[in-house]
Amino acid sequence: MRKHWCTITLLLLIGSLAMAQSKNVGDYSALGVQTGKSGGSITMALQSNPVSFFYYSAIDQPMQTIYQLAFDGLIEYNLRTYAIEPALAESWTLTNGGTVYTFKLRRGVKWHDGTEFTADDVIFTFNQVIFNPEARAGNVVTPTYGGKPVVFTKVDKYTVRATLAVPAPGFLTQMRTFILPKHKLLRWSVEGGATRAEINNAWPTSTDPKDVVGTGAFKLSSYTPSQRVVLTKNTDYWKKDSAGNDLPYLDQITFLIVSDPQAQVAQLLAGNLGYINASGAQFPDLKQREVSGAPIRVLRSLQLFGGPNSTRYIFFNFDAKDKDLAELFRLSDFRRAIQFAVNRERVVDAAYNGLAQTPGHGMFTGSTWYFNTVNQLGRFDLQAAGALLERIGVRGSSAGRTWKGKPLEFTLTYASDQSDYPAIAAILQNDLRQIGIKVNFQTVPFSQLLSTGTSGNFEVILGQFGDQPDPELRRPIWQPANTLYYWHQTTVKDGKPVFENFLPWEREIYNLWEQAGTTSSQTQRKALYDRWQSIIAREVMMIPLVKPESVAAHSNRYGNVLYNPMLIPGFNPVPLLFQR
Amino acid sequence: MWLYLLRRVLLIPPALLLISALVFAVVYLQPGNALQQYLEDPRFTEETKRLIERQYGLDQPPHIQYLMWLRGVVLGPLDFGQSIKFGRPVVSVLGEALGWTVFVALITIVFTWLIAIPLGIYTALNRYGPLSVVSNFVGYIGLAVPDFLVVLLLVAWVLSTGGTNVGGLFSPQFIDAPWGWAKFVNLMSHLWIPVVAIGLEGVAGLMRQMRSSMLDVLNQDYIRTARSKGLAARVVVYKHAVRNAINPMISLAGLQLPQLISSSIVVSIILNLPTIGPLLFDALIGKDQFLSMAVLMIAAFLLMVGNLLADMALAWADPRIRYD
Amino acid sequence: MTSGPVKTLSPLQLAWRRYRRSRVGVFSGYVLLVLYLVALFAGFLAPYSSVTQNSLNPYQPPQRVHWFRDGRLQRPFVYVMKQERDPVTFVRRFAEDTSQPQPVRFFVRGDSYGFLGLIPSNIHLFGVEGGSIYLFGTDKLGRCLFSRILIGAQVSLTVGIVAVIISFFLGILIGGISGYYGGRTDALIQRLIEILLSIPTLPILLALAIIIPPEWPAAWVFLGIVVVISLIRWASIARVVRGQVLSLRELDYVQAARALGATDLSVIFRHLLPNLTSFLIVTATLTIPSYIILETTLSFLGLGIKEPLSSWGYLLRDVREEGFGVLSLYPWLLIPGIFITVTVLAFNFFGDALRDAADVRS
Repeated sequence: MRKHWCTITLLLLIGSLAMAQSKNVGDYSALGVQTGKSGGSITMALQSNPVSFFYYSAIDQPMQTIYQLAFDGLIEYNLRTYAIEPALAESWTLTNGGTVYTFKLRRGVKWHDGTEFTADDVIFTFNQVIFNPEARAGNVVTPTYGGKPVVFTKVDKYTVRATLAVPAPGFLTQMRTFILPKHKLLRWSVEGGATRAEINNAWPTSTDPKDVVGTGAFKLSSYTPSQRVVLTKNTDYWKKDSAGNDLPYLDQITFLIVSDPQAQVAQLLAGNLGYINASGAQFPDLKQREVSGAPIRVLRSLQLFGGPNSTRYIFFNFDAKDKDLAELFRLSDFRRAIQFAVNRERVVDAAYNGLAQTPGHGMFTGSTWYFNTVNQLGRFDLQAAGALLERIGVRGSSAGRTWKGKPLEFTLTYASDQSDYPAIAAILQNDLRQIGIKVNFQTVPFSQLLSTGTSGNFEVILGQFGDQPDPELRRPIWQPANTLYYWHQTTVKDGKPVFENFLPWEREIYNLWEQAGTTSSQTQRKALYDRWQSIIAREVMMIPLVKPESVAAHSNRYGNVLYNPMLIPGFNPVPLLFQR
Repeated sequence: MWLYLLRRVLLIPPALLLISALVFAVVYLQPGNALQQYLEDPRFTEETKRLIERQYGLDQPPHIQYLMWLRGVVLGPLDFGQSIKFGRPVVSVLGEALGWTVFVALITIVFTWLIAIPLGIYTALNRYGPLSVVSNFVGYIGLAVPDFLVVLLLVAWVLSTGGTNVGGLFSPQFIDAPWGWAKFVNLMSHLWIPVVAIGLEGVAGLMRQMRSSMLDVLNQDYIRTARSKGLAARVVVYKHAVRNAINPMISLAGLQLPQLISSSIVVSIILNLPTIGPLLFDALIGKDQFLSMAVLMIAAFLLMVGNLLADMALAWADPRIRYD
Repeated sequence: MTSGPVKTLSPLQLAWRRYRRSRVGVFSGYVLLVLYLVALFAGFLAPYSSVTQNSLNPYQPPQRVHWFRDGRLQRPFVYVMKQERDPVTFVRRFAEDTSQPQPVRFFVRGDSYGFLGLIPSNIHLFGVEGGSIYLFGTDKLGRCLFSRILIGAQVSLTVGIVAVIISFFLGILIGGISGYYGGRTDALIQRLIEILLSIPTLPILLALAIIIPPEWPAAWVFLGIVVVISLIRWASIARVVRGQVLSLRELDYVQAARALGATDLSVIFRHLLPNLTSFLIVTATLTIPSYIILETTLSFLGLGIKEPLSSWGYLLRDVREEGFGVLSLYPWLLIPGIFITVTVLAFNFFGDALRDAADVRS
């Protein structure tokens, strides 16, 4: 009997050596995913031309979309739980107190041109591309931890080791970044004799698409500028569905370059597009068509990722130029009072057409890292707001209030070229006027919203920050004294924290982040991040407004459509998509 | 006359130089920063931003930036700098958009002439006919309604009739397809909204010009002579009057092109057409300074060339005009 | 000029007579008069302020004013509109609640405003007590579109006039100097004007509008926009003024004034300008509408007026922000467009009539 098992194991081993070590995707029936059938094609929309075919040279949504389909990372996310799962790395171990990661690579994976994928490609991608300081969009992996660089070394053809100076829990998440082929890109790297900056010239969009080879489910097959990008099935893909069938199901994906959202809707209705991302404003129209029998399905869901779905917040500038205002903004009770005047229900109804949900404090409510802070969000209660203002010495009535002998008014900064911000601003202004606070407006284009924040030239700002699967990835935003912690910029000088300028609770947050960033125990990290969320919720560091829902529509010819097939690296439901 | 034209041509480079300095000042004063917006993405850091700014010379004082830009344009030659957003030379970003811009403008010119000239002739001949009253009124409306409002109305109308051809240039089945009649028709079915919106104003103006020019000619002695000689009214009108009345119109065509490109900007922004309009708008708002400069300079250059062509056309059509 | 037993008319009277003959022109003049009066008394005529929100009635269609109930004539009244959202499609549905007629009352108390911009008041021409009246419907935040249009008229209608004043001042001053002095000054100014005229207006207008600092309060932004717009056309006016001055300055009485030692500026403004009055008035009337169109375009693109001010172009901007889809759901959002069209048309007809009237040859 025992011998029998040995034979089977041996056979399996031989089999897996001969063929690619494939991965069976998990059971996603909870998401409505079913076993699909092979064949068919889908047409989707790209907003604009990709600026390049080299991922690490530009931040560009169209290119990212193409990369999602054509490339893989070492790890990926579970589509339902966002737990980390093997991808190009078939397994890994963590040793030496959480500082040494050893990745066993999946064997037999081939680049689209037939070349075998090996440890050399991984080493090349990290050492020559990502750690090249001149790569323009290369900061996918923090190059140093504890002040010392991360060192990638090749152990053997299928094993790679990463050595860190200190334990860094965010590191594994970063390993979802795309691995590129050394044999195609060598000549633009320092190793290949080029200068550091030349890496940004790799794979311009004029490259022959056949040269842009990845390991992903689809391979780039043609590109006509301003018109379309075509990807075809990678028949050697290393993933199989839960029943053991080859993935991807579809034979071909065509992207049309359609920049206008209204044109995208029109093309979906005309049957020319199979899938589009839509906005909340388009939802009623589309849903009505679905209900009245159009061959489409409209999805609304809450998603962790994606620009339009970033959580909206109100931040108060603790360093406002007006010293009296700054002093007021630093009072947690003042911010709490303002929160009482925030009518989230109306914001959801008017600004999002009803399609938005309760936000978290820096973490997406659906994330495993989320700590329930709903009770700290307060309720809409103008009387409570007024009473709280009186208590902290902002006296007056609905006709006007004074603070330090001056009538209380402040400027609210928001992006005027978005559909939701002006509505939110008008609602806030209206409600705050009823408790005697005058709000003036400063409007900037959306593209300048963040830079207005980081310039410190604002009093109160309506902002948004995208959610990420791991809090560590959002550390620049939420850790005091970090680069994007813009509402309290005196906490930092020349890149060093200035602790005497910290508010008492900020010091604790700072320490929590430092600790969590160097702890590898998940339970410990969870406890630390929970504490962080409870503190900022208690102190109303910022007022979370809403988390907008994601809206998408697709032709009912397709099955297993999960919202947004192409959002972030490591989250890739497209191989499961099939045509009925 | 040739001397005059030569002087005009020689004046273009210094004028462009002055305009470029003005335009640089305007563009440099645009608020914001082209790269700051990427910082929200974890892939992009403060260091990367500084690095790119150094590479593009954005960390230099403005006059150095301007001189660097000027050197590129003159010695490059025609190196208008790099687009910060697209990470490649401005010229390559603009090339295709410029093609579509000129294409849309040309189609619009054809459209306006095809409609305005016959209407102008008709209204001159039948000054109080019902069609004249209607077309005069429509002409007034065309001048009174802003382009963007025309777009909104047309789009609302198309959507309410269940149409889908709003925005974009082609239906998907024609994208990438070889050129042919069907593809052209499809293109036109998408382009008519911007063409009407941009062209309506031109139609009104052109029609009025044609009408008054026609009326002028009809009152001339030689037309009266021709009539009194007993020539058929048809012959008089088409052989003599129209041909002479259309001469002064030719110079208008030269002026029309740059003007149309200018007004196509707003319409293209609203309808997301791949012309220089949305490029300019995004470049201005995102402070992609070399891109906005290039668009503004191209528009200025086209305007100058248009003016020159108009003068030349006028000189050719009407030799009586003297230039000192 | 001759006086005698025959009753003669001054040139102004003659022009007035010619103007009266143009029916369209006279009608347009009245339309403009009404529009400006409406803008002047907007606070009183509008039932609400431009920022009053009604959280219960976003995107409400225009309410109908009824006169009959149960077949009998009554004082005008409106019905409250009930709104609900379809739970699946999220489409808003409205229905008149015919059980509760709300009589329209006159001279009611409501939101406070400054009468003629000065005297604080809260009396409105009409309104509904205990309910609401939205003749043109409401926007996303439940703000009364009718009130917003009336109050937005203040911005839209003044932009053109103020901008024309500024650009004419510049044009007359610089054109006058150029024509009056001639020679080198003239040549220099002419070259400059030529160059300015070859900068394409719309693109540079966009660029200039974006420069206006976002932290400026709304009133300053308004002024900034006006200045930016007025910078557009002064050069062409300067050109015409220069031509006129050039020919006028050789006339005897101008020469005489100079010989008597009048200063240059006083010659330009006292003796030369009056000759240009009719030309300037006509040109101004025909320039104002193009300025109005520029303002609406800028505001529509989001580069113009900002809250709490509003203008007709700014009101149309909602359509752009929400996507064209709203046009089929909430078509009343296009009403401000009618006002733009009517105003510009009226200005054009009025200007044409004035031109014909001023033209002695006609």
